Amino acid sequence: MVEKTTMNECTTCGGDLHVPEDAMVGEILTCPDCGVEFEIVSLVGGQVKLAAAENIKEDWGE
Amino acid sequence: MTGLVKMVTVSILYDVLRWEEKELLKKASEMSIPVVSVDIRKFSPALGDKRPENLGDISIQRSVGFYRGLFSTAVLEHMNHRVVNTYRSLEITGNKMMTSLHLYQNGIRTPFTAFAFEEDAALRLFMERFNGEAVLKPITGSWGRMIALLKDKFAAQAVLHDRSLMHPIQSVYYFQEFVRKPGRDIRIIVAGEEIIAGMYRYQTGDEWRTNAAIGGRVEKLPKDSEIEELAIKSVSFLDAGIYGVDIMETDGGPVVNEINGTMEFRGTTAASGTDVASEMLKFVVKQEKC
Ligand SMILES: Nc1ncnc2c1ncn2[C@@H]1O[C@H](COP(=O)(O)OP(=O)(O)OP(=O)(O)O)[C@@H](O)[C@H]1O
Ligand SMILES: [Zn+2]
Repeated sequence: MVEKTTMNECTTCGGDLHVPEDAMVGEILTCPDCGVEFEIVSLVGGQVKLAAAENIKEDWGE
Repeated sequence: MTGLVKMVTVSILYDVLRWEEKELLKKASEMSIPVVSVDIRKFSPALGDKRPENLGDISIQRSVGFYRGLFSTAVLEHMNHRVVNTYRSLEITGNKMMTSLHLYQNGIRTPFTAFAFEEDAALRLFMERFNGEAVLKPITGSWGRMIALLKDKFAAQAVLHDRSLMHPIQSVYYFQEFVRKPGRDIRIIVAGEEIIAGMYRYQTGDEWRTNAAIGGRVEKLPKDSEIEELAIKSVSFLDAGIYGVDIMETDGGPVVNEINGTMEFRGTTAASGTDVASEMLKFVVKQEKC
């Protein structure tokens, strides 16, 4: 089954950001064209709001 | 579930929702365990505040930011809220020096490791106790970042000097013998006193590290009681919790390299075929019931 997605435009390069149907708030999307990362900050009735994701910091990990 | 069984509500404390956190949420609802996800970045408690209502009975700390996870756990514990893993366990496992000290003290085999607290002393230690070959690691940090295999005095001198110019924690020098492992190491996931899953992590190409973040291949670990006993013993000085134990094979037997207190488990789930998320949830629910 093909995953349904909604489309959003990357604010950095204009590339297509696919938001999978099972996406959740807090999830990170990476722009396939430029690699910039976005966080899903809200999902209301198919409307997706994205914001620049926090940058990886030195203390990130397991 | 019957009405007699107490329903335990579990919260997942996150900052970045990775595959792991989504998996925990998904499996919890499949298992009919009431679950909520809590963005710990929005938590801003004051002394005397009551424990937030939305945290449920027990939380799984999943912050990718180490200090964020460590100190939010500390606050929650002071509010009498139970978090897996505990502040004490996160503090030890998040610090390679503290982990090594505890492993050694508890008689658990670990590679030869030594410390220095100043650049020149570090270089002398490297030359005299390690004969000019050692792995230098930041005492905090993960994903194999800034881990340096040093085999030359002048290269070491340069690296140690660079470290001395960074954040002061990089001037706590942690050296370890370079273990000639058989092209792989072992990751075991332990919950309480039980083995959940295990895998081999292979290094690729001429890389000497096996981190998934670097791109190493993984494979299911066959049942091995020596390794399993070692993994269980390795977490015995920590509070009952969920840990990723890293083990290296040597000619003299397996040695414990480190213990991860908020381990990732996508690779282990795929390699082992074990539903790690469900096992974690079972453990956490059991913790709250006892
Ligand atoms: N003393 C050593 N000798 C040989 N290889 C080592 C040694 N220490 C670590 N390694 C290898 O380097 C990699 C990173 O090591 P380590 O696990 O200590 O770092 P890390 O950044 O904490 O990684 P993570 O927390 O993601 O597991 C591992 O693949 C490990 O096998
Ligand atoms: Zn882009």
